[in-house]
Amino acid sequence: MKLNYLFPNKYKKIGWLLFIPSAIIGLATLIFEFEPNSLDFNVPAIFIDEFFGDKHFMGIVNNNILNEILAVLIILSSLLVAFSKEETEDEYISKIRLESLVWAVYLNYAILLISFLFIFDMSFLWVMILNMFTILLFFMIRFNCQISKLKKSTRYEK
Amino acid sequence: MKNSIKVERAKKNITQADLAALAKVSRQTINAMELGKYVPSTVLSLRLAQIFEVEVSQIFTLEETDWD
Repeated sequence: MKLNYLFPNKYKKIGWLLFIPSAIIGLATLIFEFEPNSLDFNVPAIFIDEFFGDKHFMGIVNNNILNEILAVLIILSSLLVAFSKEETEDEYISKIRLESLVWAVYLNYAILLISFLFIFDMSFLWVMILNMFTILLFFMIRFNCQISKLKKSTRYEK
Repeated sequence: MKNSIKVERAKKNITQADLAALAKVSRQTINAMELGKYVPSTVLSLRLAQIFEVEVSQIFTLEETDWD
């Protein structure tokens, strides 16, 4: 069966190579609130809601673009890792892929529900930031665990 | 659903890896089917039948629980 919504297998490795460093650096900049002045730029914005100003559409804002760069890298690389074909992508692998995706969505929203109820104010900002990436992260973990479990279980069979 | 893939494979004297290559699927898939963990699609069933040179119904048989 031809699947045209997956990337070729080689992109998985590229995805991992980009994902791991950008995730580590991303988390570090988030924790230490690292915003180098050299990356402050005036950038176009679609919607602007200033702290002590009014709300309006379309304009220019001054922004540190480090978090944008890292978020784009993390999202694109995790898409590559998550949705690249396996070496032999067949219908059983597709089934595991789908099950893992459903599992990841359930887990993600379970955690989000709990966070809604028990995490408040500025702490919730953390939840929102991390939640942007966790669906794909949970999927990647689940799917790769399932695949490696499968490979282990067939290694010794004739 | 029961299947006789393992039996047919023994008749032809080929390994799981050989059959996987012939059917163009991964070895894990062959293994999962033999263990009854995975029910193949119609296309894969027909491929297996052609490889073993038998009818599909000779490889796969329905069980009572398949009607639940």
